[in-house]
Amino acid sequence: MHKKIILSLISLGICLVLSGSAFAHHGAAAYDMSKTITVTGTVTDFQFVNPHVLIAMDVKDASGKVEKWQGELTSPNHLSRAGWTKSTLKPGDQVTLIGGPAKSGSPTMWIRKIMKDGEEVSLGGGGDN
Amino acid sequence: MRKPFVWTTFLLGAIFVLCSISRAQNSPAGERPGQGSPAAQGNPPQQGMRRGPAPPVQGPAHDPHDLAGMWNARRGYGGDTYTGQAPEFTAWGEEQFKKAKSSNGGQYTLQETNDPVITKCYPPGVPRIYLQPFPLQIVQTPKEVILLYEYDHTVRHIYTDGRKHPDDLSPTYMGDSIGHWDGDTFVVDTIGFNDKTWLDRAGRPHSDQLHVIERFQRMNLNDLEIDVTMEDSKALAKPWNAHIGFQLHPDWTIAEQVCADNSDFVSFEK
Repeated sequence: MHKKIILSLISLGICLVLSGSAFAHHGAAAYDMSKTITVTGTVTDFQFVNPHVLIAMDVKDASGKVEKWQGELTSPNHLSRAGWTKSTLKPGDQVTLIGGPAKSGSPTMWIRKIMKDGEEVSLGGGGDN
Repeated sequence: MRKPFVWTTFLLGAIFVLCSISRAQNSPAGERPGQGSPAAQGNPPQQGMRRGPAPPVQGPAHDPHDLAGMWNARRGYGGDTYTGQAPEFTAWGEEQFKKAKSSNGGQYTLQETNDPVITKCYPPGVPRIYLQPFPLQIVQTPKEVILLYEYDHTVRHIYTDGRKHPDDLSPTYMGDSIGHWDGDTFVVDTIGFNDKTWLDRAGRPHSDQLHVIERFQRMNLNDLEIDVTMEDSKALAKPWNAHIGFQLHPDWTIAEQVCADNSDFVSFEK
């Protein structure tokens, strides 16, 4: 029985690796999609604009020093169909962004998952520009 | 003994669900839902273009000659082309392809790409318009079928009143299209392209000799399939076949999507 569990876990791992292989967005070359970072901070600006939605936020480190971060999302057209509006986020919101970091090392990222008040905000399905 | 069994069942279920989602999101555009036996449907099977089983047909019976509605490609995220089978280029085509710097393959950034659709907001051309990941609305009138693409307000008029292509066409981005019904298949013939755009988002080129034939088939209430043949004696050594599958979204409407916004956006990348 334990063998079956191990085989299941291996299959799951293979499946997850394969599922990420076709990720290719317009502009995604700026991000390292093989890595995942998690950044938590306070929203300072939310731009629900074409071609991609942008989130700006202040992130405090342990010493209290603030770093300005920006996160990039899919298009407002796709997010609208997932229930988003231009008011889904607003300055002051506490959010956690999970996604691929900029290859340049700048504090920007492509967002794959977003948590607000401890709950995931769905990014919906569909494509990207 | 019981616990491991429960866990194994749970994990296998999770694998099935995750793999299904993954396939749906990452399938090349050239896959279609199965329709039972291909032979029974009168369609010869094409390698890599089918998957089964057939989706359930919901609601009232569909009219195969009614293409009207809001359709979104099933391709989901990712993918800069239609199929894993790359086209065979002529020497000219190969030379052009080497110059392409696609922003969709993860290699070139928005500052580096020379994709004419991204950098200059040229209309995407046909069939690349189907790779722009936004829905389209099909409107049918007695004399034409109108394709309203959400991407950058792109519109195509497919004339069905029996006219021929005009003589001495001036080249355009989206070409000149005429259509007719061949049984339950709507066949669209398009020529008169300029050579300013690419066949796909990877940068595969075409010339002003491009001839595109699209075959639209409404397989059931929810699924629309388009088989595309690209012929171009200057760029392609032989015709290139592609397939794009679409799903009906009756509750969606066309939203605004403006390419000109790209120019403000490029500066975001650092």
